[in-house]
Amino acid sequence: MIEKNNKLSSKKDSGKVIMTAVSYVFITFFTLACLLPFILMLSSSLTSEKSVIINGFNLWPKEFSTLAYKIIFENPKDILGGYIVTILLTTIGTALGLWIISMTGYALQRKDFAWRNKITYFFYFTTLFSGGLVPYYLLMTKYLGLKDNYLAILLPGLMSPWLIILMRNFMKSIPHSITESAKIDGANDFQIYTKLIMPLAKPALATIGLFLALQYWNEWYNAMLFLSPNVEHRPLQLYLYNVVTQAESIKNSAANSNVPPQDMPNETIKMAVGIIATGPVIIFYPFVQKYFIQGITIGAVKG
Amino acid sequence: MNTKIMKTNVSTKKNRGQFLRTLKKNKLLIIMCLPAILFFLIFSYLPMPGLYLAFIRFNYAQGIFNSPFVGLENFRFLILSGKLWELTKNTVLYNAAFILIGSSLQVCVAVLLNEIANKRFKKFSQTIMFLPHFISFVLVGLFAYNILSFDFGVLNTFLRSVGLEPVKAYSTPEVWPIIIVVTHLWKSTGYGSIIYFATIMGIDPQIIEASQIDGANVFQKIRFIILPSIRPTFVILLLFSIGSILRGNFQLFYNMVGSSNSMLFETTDIIETFVFRALINNFNFSLGSAVSLYQSVFGFALIMVSNWVVRRIEPDYALF
Amino acid sequence: MKTRFKLLALLMVLVLIMGITGCVKSGETSGTQGQMTEENKSGDISKTDSTEDGEELEFVELTFLMMGNVPTNGQLELAMAEWNKILEEEINAHLKIEWVEWADWLTKYNLLMASGEPIDLITSGDWLDMWPNAQKGAFMPLDDLLQYAPLTSADITAEEWETCKLDDTTYFFPEQNYTQYVNHGFYYRGDWAKEFGIDKVTDYESFGQYLQGVADNKEGVVPWDANGSKFDLYDGWIISETDSLELLMVPTGYHKAVWAESKENKYTAYSPIFNDTFMEFAKTMQEWGDAGYWREDVLNFKGDTRELFKAGQSGADQHHTQTYRGLRWEMDNLIPGSEIGFYPFGSTRKNLTQLSIIHGATAIGANSQNPERAVMAYEILRQNEEFYRLFVYGREGVQYEIVDGVKTRPEGYNDADHEFYTDFWSGREDKFELPTDTEYAGIYDLWAEFDSYAIPDPYSRFIFDRTPVEAELAAISDVTSALGPAITYGKTGDPEAAVVEYREKLKKAGIDKVLEEVQRQLDDYKVMVEGK
Repeated sequence: MIEKNNKLSSKKDSGKVIMTAVSYVFITFFTLACLLPFILMLSSSLTSEKSVIINGFNLWPKEFSTLAYKIIFENPKDILGGYIVTILLTTIGTALGLWIISMTGYALQRKDFAWRNKITYFFYFTTLFSGGLVPYYLLMTKYLGLKDNYLAILLPGLMSPWLIILMRNFMKSIPHSITESAKIDGANDFQIYTKLIMPLAKPALATIGLFLALQYWNEWYNAMLFLSPNVEHRPLQLYLYNVVTQAESIKNSAANSNVPPQDMPNETIKMAVGIIATGPVIIFYPFVQKYFIQGITIGAVKG
Repeated sequence: MNTKIMKTNVSTKKNRGQFLRTLKKNKLLIIMCLPAILFFLIFSYLPMPGLYLAFIRFNYAQGIFNSPFVGLENFRFLILSGKLWELTKNTVLYNAAFILIGSSLQVCVAVLLNEIANKRFKKFSQTIMFLPHFISFVLVGLFAYNILSFDFGVLNTFLRSVGLEPVKAYSTPEVWPIIIVVTHLWKSTGYGSIIYFATIMGIDPQIIEASQIDGANVFQKIRFIILPSIRPTFVILLLFSIGSILRGNFQLFYNMVGSSNSMLFETTDIIETFVFRALINNFNFSLGSAVSLYQSVFGFALIMVSNWVVRRIEPDYALF
Repeated sequence: MKTRFKLLALLMVLVLIMGITGCVKSGETSGTQGQMTEENKSGDISKTDSTEDGEELEFVELTFLMMGNVPTNGQLELAMAEWNKILEEEINAHLKIEWVEWADWLTKYNLLMASGEPIDLITSGDWLDMWPNAQKGAFMPLDDLLQYAPLTSADITAEEWETCKLDDTTYFFPEQNYTQYVNHGFYYRGDWAKEFGIDKVTDYESFGQYLQGVADNKEGVVPWDANGSKFDLYDGWIISETDSLELLMVPTGYHKAVWAESKENKYTAYSPIFNDTFMEFAKTMQEWGDAGYWREDVLNFKGDTRELFKAGQSGADQHHTQTYRGLRWEMDNLIPGSEIGFYPFGSTRKNLTQLSIIHGATAIGANSQNPERAVMAYEILRQNEEFYRLFVYGREGVQYEIVDGVKTRPEGYNDADHEFYTDFWSGREDKFELPTDTEYAGIYDLWAEFDSYAIPDPYSRFIFDRTPVEAELAAISDVTSALGPAITYGKTGDPEAAVVEYREKLKKAGIDKVLEEVQRQLDDYKVMVEGK
């Protein structure tokens, strides 16, 4: 008995050692590949424009300069306002979106729900056909009156067919017996969902929540379309995007016959903007990750 | 149960009774779906008739539905270009590569991450792998140029320093599919592996324990427990991507290849980049709508077929 | 939503009541402006204790659509407060700027046109699809509104008005009183050219010699570090090697495929791409490329040539006269003695067209709520010096001060805190413009030289209707944008074969049909012009 176990474990061990080695090598390699460009970005954003133009990007600043950051932070009001708006939109949007997505996802995986396929198809169809930019713009501005309204960013990002179906799939792993026994105990569908399913679906909520949050964090297109500059505080990404395009377009626009020449540190600004947009994610993601992993491991169904 | 009754009843009256019964029986479930249904009704279905733009000469003053109807006029430039087949082929092949290689690599990363015991290393590497997702394509294109440029690129500087021939990446179309696919993988793998990682974390630890007691080694664990648990997500992802297989990632191609290096076009031109060049100074909503409609119909046909196939094999994995 | 609706209803009721009591002040009935302000004052008195809604009726908020990013240093608001004082005084209105930011500006601009939002004044012009937008009903006809801008309208000649009309309806105020040349050419280092024994670059041949000089003598400098998005090499060639005139209204992408033959045959359309001169061009550019006048990967290079030129890393740069005006001054300070020279393409064969007066033009939005007042505001902008300078330059003492009739930067001015712009490019007035101390003093001589041979824009009234050949234009745009850059920068390896292929593809894309259509419309245009 003991011998057998030993044999087994040694066999297991050799496999495990190989696997662990492969894992470390592969993940390390890939991590480095992801890290390098980021270091390049950081270093370039702290280099003088002239040096970047002449020597290209380097992993270490040849000529140190913080001009790019100075230009961006010239208006701390905008950056700060941008952060606040973005954080608010992200938290509200993620919470609201998660609630609706999980509720829908739960309903759609109930085997006793006769119309689940029809409704799923109803959602999915929207990924195939869309009205296009003009009708969408008219709907939002003319018919819903959402111009210059934060709802124009909050609402469209709330859910996507992809997230709903993903949620449905995650929920499928929760045994149907839980629902059935609760039904026998006289709980209604909504109670089952809030009391029983939600706690069990933590890993799904964590994952989908993360996707939603990132999407809100990166959102600039709807903001560009629907929030005119009259709106005092606009999402961070839009502000940053504008800083970059401003530098670009002044030089390239058809009308620049009329724009006074400007010395914009074009290249380094792009890098600095990249750093500012990504920075918070690097700082906060490990924290989120902690809860994320906790949520997932706690949420694992104990049969 | 209900579906059985449905099949036996054909009269409309009974059908209506059936309908109401289902409604009543699933009342709460339907109510739970209602917010989402309303959402898609308003934001997706309401603008959908606007696809009519593809068939009109749009006049702002008259509005979409009173503008003159021009039939297939707006689709003509696709045919005129003589490139429709090449563009379709390129777009589909690239997307197929992205989907298949991309998903596999994501699964790979998730499985291997799961095998790493060191918590700190795990956390660090996961955060870092996430980063490329946030680097805008504009920067990615700049970096690529900095590496690959013939006169000043890092790669050629290195090659010259060790006495090798410098490469002319920007006039060698054959290498570009590889460069593009690698760039895409680099950018999306870390982000995409989250789904799989979450799925793996969600596996009941008791099952894994039980398998270990039964003497399963690490490879068997992966093969018989982890991969099967990932499969549904994998298939769903696949199906989802098929519907948009004709929609290319404009930002990626535009920033990597640019819009003027025709030497690389045979291997890198996709529908989106073509449309961009065609409409660059002839701004026209209707032509854009026409292209979009073509992509939609193509994707629609493809997804209907694939979903039907999946349903025949494993109904549980089908999208609808 | 509901409250908004209620407010609207309340407003409507108020409007009605005021209409009945005859308290509405609008331009329609008032005679002079003095009378109007009188009316306002009486209105004010009669409504001392009325609600805020009443005040909204009192004031009109006008919007002016501009291209540019919203300034964030607060200077615009300060200037706006000043100019609104004037406007309040004169026509009891406020004018604020609605920006179309550079991020995706073309999409955004056209969406605003398509969605019919109630914008009052709109920046338009030949580079902003003015005629297609007018055809699509984006703008309000101006004929009945001109009375509200009497001085500005009187200042525009009948002939000039003709250029602003579509089907005998006026849609635009032109920018007819502003001198600027935006004809393109090359900038080069005058000091280097002297070194290589070149006195002045006057054509492609001497420019080539200059570039060769840089390649031979200036280690580490790219003769012309172009980036592939620049297409003017081809335009420049056609302008300096032939007498062709540009037909800007026929958009064909990277290369302008359709030109008019010459001053003499200005109503004859043709495509220079199918002539020997284009083959000559392709071969010459292959030579230039092989000689390393630009970098190997020019088509993918996205660098900033102007910055490189300033840094002495590029031997040449390419843009137009207006940019030269500032650049020359800047370089004189940056690298004293650099003597930046300018070779305008048109100088070779004296082939130059004056800038169209509708390069920048102002329109009234089709759904403007206060078109009369908008036109009045525009009149003030173009006739009131104080207002004009506030709007274009900013506040005196902060953004600028006038020393001996020259505009200078005040002590303590810095861009970050004080930079000001409204990007008003559609109705500037020479009479209010000031010479500045940040421009090349020789610009006026250059203008005089141009004036001596430039012809007035012969196509100012030619409105090309694209609709019959929309598909062909799109297909041609793809072909020129795909193959054009490679030929322009000599990247094909075999220019002759490339040109043959290029011509074939253009034929396939329907160039002949486009030429026919352009010719047909030019014939009609000729009848219209000569018939008068």
